[in-house]
Amino acid sequence: MSIPELEHLAGTSLPAGTFTISALEDDQLREVLHAGPSQSGVAHELWAYIATQRGIGISVADLCSIAQFDIADGPMLGSTELEYSSAMRIGTRYRVEGEVLGVERKHGRSGTFDVMRYRERLLSGDDLVASATSTFILPRRGD
Amino acid sequence: MSSPPSHLQPGAALGPWVVEHVDPEQMKTLAVLLADPNPIHLDADAARRAGLGDRVVTQGPASVGFVLNMLADAVPGATIRDVRVRFTANVHGGDGVVAAGSVQQLEEVDDGRAVRCAVWLDVRDGPRALDGTATLFLPATRQDHTNHSEEN
Repeated sequence: MSIPELEHLAGTSLPAGTFTISALEDDQLREVLHAGPSQSGVAHELWAYIATQRGIGISVADLCSIAQFDIADGPMLGSTELEYSSAMRIGTRYRVEGEVLGVERKHGRSGTFDVMRYRERLLSGDDLVASATSTFILPRRGD
Repeated sequence: MSSPPSHLQPGAALGPWVVEHVDPEQMKTLAVLLADPNPIHLDADAARRAGLGDRVVTQGPASVGFVLNMLADAVPGATIRDVRVRFTANVHGGDGVVAAGSVQQLEEVDDGRAVRCAVWLDVRDGPRALDGTATLFLPATRQDHTNHSEEN
């Protein structure tokens, strides 16, 4: 069910931003993930998640706060969908756009929690390069 | 188009792709890369206070990254079109993890094949941490084009 006080968030645009995947950070990510080296300047596919999260013009903490949730209360990533139209390239400056898709209240064994779904896109000019659609689980302690 | 490689027939296994121990120190690097200050990934006490066990909790995107690596290793030459996953259990610092999958469907598409797969990541001797689906694109080979011309 939707939550009356958060219904208005569906369709809310997130502030746009830009992001450039650096060679250094791609190398660091590949080391963390035990991945092989970049081929021909192509960035690791996980950048679809990272570049959108960092490039959008709002922090994870502020994204949580628009759903009236304090990041210190421990949001959890519930799901993510990464879609690719073309390869992400190291050194290319991408534009990042996104919006909140909705917030849904649920009740489980662990108590009441909200599921906030949002989508962020990586664009080169007007061309979609990749997108990330994710849900954050926001436990509502005391509700 | 020629027959797909036998390892890509529906039902074929993908992986396994293994990380023996997820390194908590590397989670700190990933936290910086993600710009994610959530303390449960950095501080075992914070994880404990949140009721998430006695060790730091690995960032969910790391699990996705391991699955992406598994796909890249399992189907060389393919490009990943999408991956859709839900997180079903936490991975903790020090855990061993195994990413794997199976081919569900092969579909002829423009200039190649779409390979639809089930994917998952298991904590070794523990729960399934992630499951979902992925689609790979395998471009047509020169042999495929030759066969296609002969058919016409």
